[in-house]
Amino acid sequence: MSSQSNIALNNWLMANNVENISSVDEIYRYDRKQQQDMLAAKPWDKDPHFFKEIRISALALLKMVTHARSGGHLEVMGLLLGKVDANTMVVMDAFALPVEGTETRVNRLENAIGWYHSHPGYGCWLSGIDVSTQMLNQNFQEPFVAIVVDPVRTISAGKVCLGAFRTYPKVEDFGVHCKQYYALEVSYFKSALDRRLLDSLWNKYWVSTLSSSSLTTNADYTTGQVSDLSEKLEQAENSLGRAALVGSGVGVSGSSIEDRRSEDRLAKAARDATKTSIEALHGLLAQVIKDRLFNQVRSRPA
Amino acid sequence: METEENNQNVNHVMASSGATGSISVLLHPLVVMNISEHWTRVRAQEGKAQQVIGALIGKQKGRSLEIMNSFELVFTVIENVVIDRDYYNTKEEQFKQVFSDMDFLGWYTTGDSPNESDIHVHKQICEINESPVILKLNPFTRNADLPVTMYESVIDLVNGEATMLFVELTYTLATEEAERIGVDHVARMASGDSAESSQVAEQLQAQHNAVKMLANRVRLILEYIRAMERGEVPKSHEVLREAKSLTHRLPVLNSEIFQEEYYTQYNDVLLQTYLASITKACHDLHQFVTKFNILCDRQGIMGRRMRGLFF
Repeated sequence: MSSQSNIALNNWLMANNVENISSVDEIYRYDRKQQQDMLAAKPWDKDPHFFKEIRISALALLKMVTHARSGGHLEVMGLLLGKVDANTMVVMDAFALPVEGTETRVNRLENAIGWYHSHPGYGCWLSGIDVSTQMLNQNFQEPFVAIVVDPVRTISAGKVCLGAFRTYPKVEDFGVHCKQYYALEVSYFKSALDRRLLDSLWNKYWVSTLSSSSLTTNADYTTGQVSDLSEKLEQAENSLGRAALVGSGVGVSGSSIEDRRSEDRLAKAARDATKTSIEALHGLLAQVIKDRLFNQVRSRPA
Repeated sequence: METEENNQNVNHVMASSGATGSISVLLHPLVVMNISEHWTRVRAQEGKAQQVIGALIGKQKGRSLEIMNSFELVFTVIENVVIDRDYYNTKEEQFKQVFSDMDFLGWYTTGDSPNESDIHVHKQICEINESPVILKLNPFTRNADLPVTMYESVIDLVNGEATMLFVELTYTLATEEAERIGVDHVARMASGDSAESSQVAEQLQAQHNAVKMLANRVRLILEYIRAMERGEVPKSHEVLREAKSLTHRLPVLNSEIFQEEYYTQYNDVLLQTYLASITKACHDLHQFVTKFNILCDRQGIMGRRMRGLFF
C-alpha cells in the first residue's frame, strides 16, 4: 500500500520538476552556445540603446543590498554575473570584490555582466567618475552594465532603491545638459523554490514588518534631509533675489538663465521636501496602526 | 523486519529526543536564498535535482551563532561523499579578505532528514572546525513552514561505542532592516509584474498583510481555547498560561511618558508635512507669477511701441 502511494508521489514530483524547469526556472540554465553566438554577433555595437531591460535575480538583489548595508557610510563595490537574452540583460548573481577573482569559478558558467556599487544616502545615479569608468568598461568588456544601490534610502523609504545604467559612447559635448547615460528598466525574478521559501519566510517575518518603526530607524537620515532642504531653500531664495534684480533692470525678455536655474533649485527643493515628508508619513502610519492595535484595548462581551 | 532496520538507521543518526541543543542560532534569510539558488542552478544545469553541499560562515559569540553567508563546496562521490579540501581552502582565503570578521561555522546540504552519508560528511568537516552545525533544506516539502532544520553533533555512547549523533537545534531568523526590505520586495512582487501603484497603497498593503497574519494567529489561538472549553481538545495548562500572559501584556504601553512622546512625534511629522506643502505651494506660486509676468510684460512692451507709433 505504502509503496503504491510512494510511486504515485514520485511520479507527481517528477512531473512537477519537469514542468518547473521548463517554465520559471529555465532562466537558470546557462546555454553556452547561445551566449557565445551572442558575443560573436555583438548587436550592441551598432545600437547604443540596444539593451532596454534588465532582470535581476532575487538572490543578486539581496546580496547587493546586504553588502551595501554592511559598508555603512562607505561605498562598496562588487561584480555581477549573468548573461544576455535578446534585448535584456540578466543578472544571476552578485559578488563582493575582492572575493571572486577570475580563477576559481567552479560551477559558475556565467560571465561577468557588470559591476555594482553603492551610494549610501545620495541616491541612484552615475557620478562623473562612474560615467568615465563605465564608458571604459563598455569599450573593453561589453556587454557590461553599471548598477547603483542606495542602502540608506532603501531603509528610509521602505522600498529598494536601485538603478541600472548604460552609458552612450562619447560624443561631442553639446552643452551641460547632454545626457551621457540612460537607465534600464529593472525587473526581478525568482525561482519556484525561492517563491516557496519566501512565502515561508514571510510566516516568520510579518512580526518584524509590523514591529519595525522606521521613524526611529531613520531619524538621523531625516534630520539630515531637513537641514539639507533648508540650505537648498536658502540658495534658491538668494538666486531668486538676484534674478529679480536682473529682470527688473533690463526689462524681462522671457526668462533668463539665472531665473531658470533658480526655478530649477526651487523645483528640486519642493520635490525633496515632498519625498522626505512622504517617508515620514509612512513611518507615522505604522506607528498609528501599532498604537490602535496594541494600546487601545476595549473588552467586548463574548 | 524492514521497520526494525529503518529504526536502527534512524537511531544511528539522531540522538534521543530528550537531548536539547546547547547553542542558539540566528539565521539570515540571505543564506536560505543562497542555498535555494545553488540548488536551482544545479538542477537547471544538470536537468535533474541533485544534492548540493556548501559551507556556512558567520560570527560566533560564546554560545550564540549568527549565520550570515554561505558558499558552495565541491565534492566527489566515490562510494561516499568526499569534500574537496583544496577548493575549500582557496574559497575560505578569498572570503576572509572581504568578510574578515566571519568564521567558518558549519555546512549545509539539501535533503530530508539526516542520514548516514551526512554523518560521513560531518566527520570530514569536523577536521576543519571542531563543532560545526548542519543546515538541511528540503526543497520538496509541501507545507507552509520554512523547510530548514539545523542540527549539531554530539558524541554519545551507543551499544558501548562512541558514535556521532545529530541533535536538532532551534533557530531564529535575523531581522536586519535592509535585508527585510529586500526580502519583502522580492516576495511581494509577482514574477514579471511591474504595476505603477501609489506609494501609500504599497505601504498600507504591506502593513495590511502583516496585520492579517496577526489576526489569523489570534483567531487560531481563540479557536483552540474554545475547542478546549467544549472538550474537543485535551486541556493544556501550558497553552492556557501562555495565552493569559499574552493578553495581560495588553495594553503594551500606556504610561504618561509614552503618550507625550507619541504625540510629540506625531506633531513633528505633521510639521514636516506642513513644511513640505508650503514649499510646494511656494514653488507653484513662483511658477504662476513668472508666467503671469511674461504675459503682462508682453502687453507692456506692445503698448509702449504703439504709443511710440502715434506720437
